[in-house]
Amino acid sequence: MTLGNLAKPIPRVSLNWLLIAQALVIVPFSLHVPVSLIVLWLACTFWRIQIFRMRVRMPGTWVKSGLLVGTAGGIFLARGSLVGLDAGAALLIAAFILKMLEMQTRRDALVLIFLGFFCVAVGYLFEDALLWGLFTILPIVTLLAALIGLQQSGFASKPADTLLLSVKLLLQAVPLMLLLFLFFPRLDPLWSLPQPSNKALTGLSDSMAPGDVTELSKSAALVFRASFEGPVPPRNQQYWRALTLEQFDGRRWSQSSRAQVPDAPDWRRDGEKISYSVVMEPTGKPWLMTLDVGETDLAGVRQMSDFRSQRRRPIDQSILYTVNSWPDAVRETVLSDGARSQDLQLPAKVNPETREWAADLHRRYPKPEMLVEALLSNFTEQPFHYTLKPPALGPNSIDDFLFGSRSGFCAHYAGAMTFVLRAAGIPARVVAGYQGGELNPDGNYISVRQFDAHAWVEYWQAGIGWRSVDPTAAVAPARIEQGLEQALAADEDFLGDSPMSALRYRHLAWVNSIRLSWDNLNYGWQRWVLGYQGQQQLQVLGRWFSGFQAPVFAGGAVAILGLLALWVFKPWRRESDSQLRLFNAFERLLARHGLRRQQGEGAQAFAQRAALRFPAQAEAIEGFAREFEAQRYAGVSGSVGHLRRRLKYLRRSLPWRLSAVRDKPQ
Amino acid sequence: MIEQFKPVWQRWVGRRIPPASRIELNHRRIFILPTRVGGTYAFVLVLLLLVSINYQNSLAYGLTFLMVSVGLLAILHTYRNFTGLVLSASNARSVFVGEPVQLRLRLESISSGHHAIALGWDTEQLEQTDVGAHSQQEVALTLPAINRGWLRAPRLRVESVFPLGIFRAWSWLDLEQTVLIYPRPVPGSMPLLQGVQPHAEDDGQATRGEGVDDYQGLRPWQAGDSLRRMHWKAWSRGQGLMVKEFTDLSGHDLCLDFMALGGDIEERLSRLCYWVLELSQRQQPFALRLPGFLSAVDSGDAHREACLRQLALYGVRA
Repeated sequence: MTLGNLAKPIPRVSLNWLLIAQALVIVPFSLHVPVSLIVLWLACTFWRIQIFRMRVRMPGTWVKSGLLVGTAGGIFLARGSLVGLDAGAALLIAAFILKMLEMQTRRDALVLIFLGFFCVAVGYLFEDALLWGLFTILPIVTLLAALIGLQQSGFASKPADTLLLSVKLLLQAVPLMLLLFLFFPRLDPLWSLPQPSNKALTGLSDSMAPGDVTELSKSAALVFRASFEGPVPPRNQQYWRALTLEQFDGRRWSQSSRAQVPDAPDWRRDGEKISYSVVMEPTGKPWLMTLDVGETDLAGVRQMSDFRSQRRRPIDQSILYTVNSWPDAVRETVLSDGARSQDLQLPAKVNPETREWAADLHRRYPKPEMLVEALLSNFTEQPFHYTLKPPALGPNSIDDFLFGSRSGFCAHYAGAMTFVLRAAGIPARVVAGYQGGELNPDGNYISVRQFDAHAWVEYWQAGIGWRSVDPTAAVAPARIEQGLEQALAADEDFLGDSPMSALRYRHLAWVNSIRLSWDNLNYGWQRWVLGYQGQQQLQVLGRWFSGFQAPVFAGGAVAILGLLALWVFKPWRRESDSQLRLFNAFERLLARHGLRRQQGEGAQAFAQRAALRFPAQAEAIEGFAREFEAQRYAGVSGSVGHLRRRLKYLRRSLPWRLSAVRDKPQ
Repeated sequence: MIEQFKPVWQRWVGRRIPPASRIELNHRRIFILPTRVGGTYAFVLVLLLLVSINYQNSLAYGLTFLMVSVGLLAILHTYRNFTGLVLSASNARSVFVGEPVQLRLRLESISSGHHAIALGWDTEQLEQTDVGAHSQQEVALTLPAINRGWLRAPRLRVESVFPLGIFRAWSWLDLEQTVLIYPRPVPGSMPLLQGVQPHAEDDGQATRGEGVDDYQGLRPWQAGDSLRRMHWKAWSRGQGLMVKEFTDLSGHDLCLDFMALGGDIEERLSRLCYWVLELSQRQQPFALRLPGFLSAVDSGDAHREACLRQLALYGVRA
């Protein structure tokens, strides 16, 4: 397009496609930008259509500036800032909407189209599920159709044709895109950018009061999925560690300040190794979920002093990592003084009854493991009750729980047990994480959801190190063996707050099988598409084309482009072209013999003249010319080969060759 | 800088795309380069790639690569839309200096259709047209006639940015289109060969005072008389159809003479041109004398064309 063209008004087709594309681009953002922007979009679209129908005028400079300032101000009020990804995305969408209003020339339309493509990419930062990914094909197709519609051509004024060409272009682009996607090296972020943060993330936090876990148990949101290389370990061994809570203030258990200091603990591998990969949803927290004792080689992740794996940056986007775990590893046979005093820490004065009981237990069971046994059997024998609706507890919460209400869930049991162990002089801490998960038989992986959140206990013995113990297993074995739903009493409604959740209808076989298949599909999408980054790419490329990446890429690109060129040009259809080429060869042949076709001389006239000049070859010359005219002008379909044979016949029948004629022209 | 390389470039194009009256666009003759819009497209791609890398977002990577592929495919499609178009020059009518020349071009599709083909002499002013599959399309381009003699049309710029506007396929063709440009006719006194009496008509203002007495009178109209000589005033007065008669319609021969005029060559040729046209319009036989050329005394279109041709080509042998 020349500069003059860029200043021309926008064709109707392009405007239509742009309006549709804009709607499609904005849809995925509707939950992530202030509602007022959606209202602004509707108003601007209506205004633009009225402008097109010549009902109203284009906005003047003042109106435009007012809208711009007003919108930016509105976003500032709604988001509290104009920097950061959320505000940035809102500003981008606002610019996209307002540009439509002031769009007059083709240049404006181009800006709008390119802005649209950029908005689609930014939208992926907010919504990257399979369905949204598929949905965005629609805005991409329409944006491309709008781009084609900007051409000044009869073709571009037909909406269906532009859309069809755009679909065709995109389909043709897919193979090359896949090749690039597969082979393009994934770089580490060049600089850090604000991450999407407005997701209301539920999940474990760095402190826990009993009520928090109740909240989590109402949510069916996915936390992570894990695929095991070997067999899936039994459910009662699936304890996914997130973090430990070592500091107790009488009500809340929280992460100790000591745990923040990076300090690799001392441990020894022992027993069988379990290898698995995890695709974790964003949590906004830095912990990765691993089975004990887990090691991962993900960049920026290290093992902290309490055996949790922590990444430098919080998990803001879903990530994939592979872990090797040694469940039977020997952990920290020697405990430092600092750690020891932290893991014996108790708030002063609270829960006197429990302290007394602990001292009594300590007298009766001097060995830690025997004391733990006694505690667990106490939970089993006494009328303890597993429920998500425990009664409220007083200031001496553990006394109230152990000797009063005796009903609670994992957080109560783990907290109480740790308190007792500490009071009895055994270093202990609460471990928070997830337990169990749902096995998907289609994909042989487990899905762990928020309601699988769990808390258990680990205690330390000199020479043996840390040991995990789960008091909940003693109270409600069903929670560990089968899951929360089975562990709850009949009067407690599982996922009572989300009646639409497909998980509630697990008992309907067909609902469940659809749900599991869909989940499997999403997992594949996450693992192979969204998770196709750095390591995953290296693994895949190494497995498929080990050592041949470069030649495979180059060869693939050439092959794809070659096939596309064939598809686009369809050389086998270019019959008429070959006819012309043969006629040109015919002309050149006769020119070599000193006879040139004159300007404006038709094929037949030229052939007649040639026949007079070369009477001996008259038959061959006229034969060729007749065939050429018949094929080209009379619409007689004949094979190009036929024409070629006639030319060859003529060439043979002509007596002399090129060199002869140059030397002695007749 | 660019001006320096222009002749080099033109020579190169001349060798690569030799002049011909009928040219099919093919890989030898088509150049493809990204447009300014294509530059913007590339810039957007870089931005998308930065978003993908910094957010490590696979879908954004996917979109980036999809658009890279579409961009590459656009080369193929732009080329496909352009190749196979056959251009040929139609005959152009001669004009006088100062008038616009209409050059007609025929665009012919020998296979699939060609969309949004732009043609013109310079990149700023291009005519847009479409050529349907297996069909023909005529386009007229104008060129100002500045000098008399043969006007050789400059290289024709043909281009198309279809379908995405990010690549431009273009070619620079010499279709050997030539038009003869006649001198600009300038009225003035009739330049006659010396020694020959001037003959003229009643209404030739330039001849006033010289040949009025040649007018003989009126005679009744006969079949075959020129309508130009009709005496309409007499008819309107009800005197019937009368024809003005002159004494010596074929008495002496008029000879327009180059040497009878003063001034520079172009002025003289312009004056002669005017009288060639004028006398031809009156259907009066005349001869034309130029240095080194003397035409026969004749009238009619062929004679007029021959004389105009001599005037156009005087001193500019082609």
